[in-house]
Amino acid sequence: MHIELSQFEIDENTFEVTINYSDIKFDKNDIGNTIGYSDGKLPPHFEEMIDQIITRFPKKCNINAGYRLLNLQHSTDRKDGLLIGNKFFQMDKIVTSQLKKANKAALFLCTIGNEMELWAKDLSQKGDSVLAYLVDIVASSAVESIADILHNRINQAASKLGLNVTNRYSPGYCNWSVAEQQKLFSLLPNNFCNISLSDSSLMKPIKSISGIIGIGTKVKFSQYICDRCGVNDCTHRVYLLSKANKANNIVL
Amino acid sequence: MNETVDAIGVCIEKGKVNKSSSYPIDLQGQDGADELTLQALTQNIAPDEILKTCNDAMQRIGDKFGRNEVFVPELLMAAKAMNTVMVHLKPFFQAGSIKTKGKFIIGTVSGDLHDIGKNLVSMVVEGNGWEVIDLGVDVKTAKFLKAISDNPNSFVGLSALLTTTMANMASTVKEIKMEYPKTTVIVGGAPLSEESAKIMGADGYAADPQSAVLFLNRKIA
Ligand code: B1M
Repeated sequence: MHIELSQFEIDENTFEVTINYSDIKFDKNDIGNTIGYSDGKLPPHFEEMIDQIITRFPKKCNINAGYRLLNLQHSTDRKDGLLIGNKFFQMDKIVTSQLKKANKAALFLCTIGNEMELWAKDLSQKGDSVLAYLVDIVASSAVESIADILHNRINQAASKLGLNVTNRYSPGYCNWSVAEQQKLFSLLPNNFCNISLSDSSLMKPIKSISGIIGIGTKVKFSQYICDRCGVNDCTHRVYLLSKANKANNIVL
Repeated sequence: MNETVDAIGVCIEKGKVNKSSSYPIDLQGQDGADELTLQALTQNIAPDEILKTCNDAMQRIGDKFGRNEVFVPELLMAAKAMNTVMVHLKPFFQAGSIKTKGKFIIGTVSGDLHDIGKNLVSMVVEGNGWEVIDLGVDVKTAKFLKAISDNPNSFVGLSALLTTTMANMASTVKEIKMEYPKTTVIVGGAPLSEESAKIMGADGYAADPQSAVLFLNRKIA
């Protein structure tokens, strides 16, 4: 898979990345897995509904993605995290062990906008809870896919400079407190990617992802890292696992 | 048992809402819960008999969900079929000849805007014979307290999706318990667990809509 994407430097070391809906490759098996069905076991009726949702998706999305490159350093007095830009992020070993060899960090945001969310809400209010649920699931899958594409793009930009990238990590995952979103957002321009953050660290639109990717000569990407985390019922783990199983299709 | 009533049970379990609904494939073109309930009532079948059949059918689909034989979409289809039956039974509920299992007040806690999970719980709980009062999202504690005062003996459900809003959930639970110690509060949402529910003083934790139903049904058993 090779995706050519354009990126614009909107501020020093801050880039907006253009991603088109057609870059998203919806995988119905993955979507089915998220609901609970094993590969090929998604009932045809629901599969048809998902097809209809995917067909309408282009008119229901407003994709925004971008990142800012900042220096990443170790703090001399604290071992429980890393210094990124001028902020100390308190992180678990799961994250710091992967990022510690990086000397740059890409703080990223991406979203599909709020149209899908409004569609699901409207369907719920009209009593069509099944379609509402499936719209929500497809929307989540779309934004995960956008994050994959953005990750890929950052990797391409880094490799042009002879650098490697790590896995991506998001506040709220891998024992990294979701409240650290406040620090992450404070290092990005206001309303970057049209995403806002509430006091309770909730991003709006809902279908948005934030995170960090380590960059450097000595870092590497490892395909599956959930075995280091204790949250066994995390459905994101199922997603990553199914992605790892299909690793041949992923270029990073 | 009457054939029509049996058929209603099948429609609920399989999520067949009405004749025109294309789901499930094996019942296409046949009458659904909607038409069959009308027929049953015309045949003077007692509404409580219909209700019991529906509750049993919801129990069966719930059990299948518990065994991972079906997933949220099937559960929702069943709840949708059940809600169609409830529309026809509404006059009997209003006349008092049959009763809902009780009132369930639900809302997503303050600071949290997630509503899809909460809506699914509402739909399934309602489909299982409860009257649901949905307060929406970003619900402040005062709104929960008012709803409890307006609906004595109701049960309360709180939903949250982030650990940050789970903190707001904990304070809502605390205030409800302070003002209405006898009110049963059940919590759910992705970051919750049995343990966190216990720590915040809730009476129960439900991982999914079906667990919420089982918990509520146990409380009135
Ligand atoms: C009253 O009784 C009851 C009983 C049952 C109740 C109930 C009440 N309320 C709910 N239930 C239950 O029944 C419902 C039906 O089964 C369920 O309701 P849900 O609302 O949970 O279910 C939905 C119908 C479908 N499920 C979901 O939509 C959530 C699934 C998981 C994998 C998930 C997804 C898909 C997503 N996410 Co993310 N996400 C996770 C989730 C992990 C998990 N195990 O669930 C969770 C919720 N996310 C998390 C995080 C951290 C985040 N996510 C984010 C983003 C995303 C996506 C956009 C990629 C996507 C959609 C998110 C969305 N909210 O729509 C970010 C936040 C987004 C925002 N707007 O602020 C971000 C902050 C990550 C980041 N930094 O970008 C974690 C929160 C934990 C925490 N630390 O706070 C998380 C638990 C994952 C984890 N770490 O394991 C049950 O919870």
